[in-house]
Amino acid sequence: MDDASRRRSPRRILIVDDAGLVRRFHRDALEKAGFAVVEALNGVEALEKILAEPFDMAVVDVNMPQMDGLTFLTALRDLEGPERSLPALIVSTEAAAHDREAARAAGANFYLVKPVRPDLLVEHVMLMCGGAR
Amino acid sequence: MNEFIEQFLVEGRELVAQGSDDLLALEENPGDKERRDSAFRAFHTLKGAAGIVDFEAMAQTLHAGEDVLSAVRSGAVVMTAAVTDLCLDCLDQVTTWLDQMQATGEVPGDAQARADQIARQFRLVSEAARPVGAASFSEATEEVGAEPQRGAPPPAALAVLEEQVTLLRNTAPAGLRGRRSSAVRVAASVLRGIDRSSEAADFERLAGATAPPEPLAETLAETLARLVEELSPPGPAQTASPGATPAETSVRVDVHRIDALVKLAGELTVAKNALGHCARLIRDDTDPRRLAAELKAQHLQLERLVADLQQSVVALRVLPLQTAFQRFPRLVREMAGALAKPARLMIEGATTEADKTIVAAISEPLLHVIRNSLDHGLETAEERTALGKPAIATIRLRAMRQGEHIVIEVEDDGRGIDLARVRSVAAARGVASAAAIAAMSEAEATDLIFAPGFSTAASVSDLSGRGVGMDVVRTTVERLGGRVFVSSRPGLGTLIRFNLPFAVMMTRVMIVEAGGQMFGLPLEAVVETVRVPRAAIAAVGAARALVLRDRTLPVIDLGKSLGVEPATGGAEATIVVVSAMGQLGGLEVDRLGERLDVMLAAPEGLLTGVPCIDGTTLMGDGRVLIVLDIRELLE
Repeated sequence: MDDASRRRSPRRILIVDDAGLVRRFHRDALEKAGFAVVEALNGVEALEKILAEPFDMAVVDVNMPQMDGLTFLTALRDLEGPERSLPALIVSTEAAAHDREAARAAGANFYLVKPVRPDLLVEHVMLMCGGAR
Repeated sequence: MNEFIEQFLVEGRELVAQGSDDLLALEENPGDKERRDSAFRAFHTLKGAAGIVDFEAMAQTLHAGEDVLSAVRSGAVVMTAAVTDLCLDCLDQVTTWLDQMQATGEVPGDAQARADQIARQFRLVSEAARPVGAASFSEATEEVGAEPQRGAPPPAALAVLEEQVTLLRNTAPAGLRGRRSSAVRVAASVLRGIDRSSEAADFERLAGATAPPEPLAETLAETLARLVEELSPPGPAQTASPGATPAETSVRVDVHRIDALVKLAGELTVAKNALGHCARLIRDDTDPRRLAAELKAQHLQLERLVADLQQSVVALRVLPLQTAFQRFPRLVREMAGALAKPARLMIEGATTEADKTIVAAISEPLLHVIRNSLDHGLETAEERTALGKPAIATIRLRAMRQGEHIVIEVEDDGRGIDLARVRSVAAARGVASAAAIAAMSEAEATDLIFAPGFSTAASVSDLSGRGVGMDVVRTTVERLGGRVFVSSRPGLGTLIRFNLPFAVMMTRVMIVEAGGQMFGLPLEAVVETVRVPRAAIAAVGAARALVLRDRTLPVIDLGKSLGVEPATGGAEATIVVVSAMGQLGGLEVDRLGERLDVMLAAPEGLLTGVPCIDGTTLMGDGRVLIVLDIRELLE
């Protein structure tokens, strides 16, 4: 889990979104920028993956079946291990202040409103997890 | 006035507004090439226009400004705060000259000295703002010169850092440790990403050193907030203004709207000819029933045309609110400077259109609300930092159309309204009895700020007007047919909302008869009409009151109070329940009449200055209908 041990390998980003098109769109942008991308379709799957393999950041949708993004985040932040500090970027169709507030309360580190321009997504992911590698 | 000068005045003011707007936007976002070019063009075009009307001094002044902006474009001069100030001063001078021209209709003769002075200042300032090896003219210059290689971090980085500050301050218990450590991790990543590795390491050390016991989130938040502030570009910081292209502030009329009027004029001519046709039918002794049908058809046709005409005329009177808003960015900048409370103004919905009357009249109340916000609502930068808020305060000015209404809001992120203080001040000033004030709900207590004679300013400051309080704001808005609402959250901020009608020309009135005379009551003030047994109206001292569904209403005999004749007796009384300024009252009238849409004219001649009269309108039979001012009537 130590960042230093895989300094040269690409940073690993977990995309959590139930919409295939969005996942593909985000994956394309991030892979082009040099990130390694793993996908999860909902919060339950995301938690399983996070507990099984190391990630540098999560890009999370809000509205998803089974476990929505905010429930997922709350659960993530409440974990006992170091995984709980995983930087999380919420990407949501909702732009209202109270939606942002809710994301913040769940422990999101930043919030972007869909549709996200690929360059903006990459810029924020780069900033938040310290570069692609 | 000379036609050229007339046009010059209109265009001149537009260009000044455009130029100011651009300069302020440029200050917030120095890299904005479009704004820079637009500011340059505004100066350039103004200069050309000044030349056309033979205003040599103005042309010279603007030429000096244009030179400096051109040097900014080529990179020979840095756009420092001093350069911005001087450009704005230059535009102010132009406005002064335009005002003089408006008053006299001529080019001012004594402008040369001032023109020379400004040109000299431009030379001095641009010397000082050479990018390399120049003497520092202002702090801003120093900052720009001191770290040319590192520069300001990208706005996204600052935004992400600010969000981590907020996250650290957020003290929700669930997942606290995870939230905190993720914020520290993200903040450190961002700092490294913008070449601030040592700061990142310091920050991580601070976060690690204090745990366990849990590092004080506030300490971390504060440290990070200070870092963000250091990193932020000087002046009113990065304002997120997506698509904030300057709105066209022209007062000229859209061609389509004129076309619609021309078309209507044509149709009205046809309708007029049809009336001539009816006149012939009468002369030829046509069957009255056929005549009536003919007339009715014509009446319907005319009714439609007049409605269309009214609508088109209202549309002519419509202006974007930008016209009223454009002075505020500058005012906030100056006031924030004077009060040493860094604040940024974010305007949304400036292209929302509203009736000309509203656009013209709303500026003053808005100015008052914004001043209040800066003066009383916002904390100082130190207080804000201590409270864990961003040091730079935000005031949002928003406008939007909602159906037949225009909503304008001013929202700040200051301290909110201190209700305890409002109550004690209101009691001290005798706004209401201490017992009544103590019994008020929070909403009612908040509303006290609108009470006449209430002003929370402990001292009369330079900014908030003397003796003018929120009561005047409310009165102005209500005169426009609007309402004012306030809501406040302690420690988080205050929101003032104006709810205004889209069109103010037409007033719906209810006609009532009292003392043998007809009066109009604005329908918006009428709550309901009731018939009650006369016995239900009780005498309370010299006055009378009626209990209606558990509420006690003062009852005013309309005829008597207007000095006509008291209401005629009878077993039942007709009461019109009205409301103004949150106050309810009952007006006793003899008879209820129809409801009409009327265009109100200000009282004229003998009626000028007579209290309780809102305006007058002509009725179908040529009589003048007096429309009453309910607010004054209830007082």
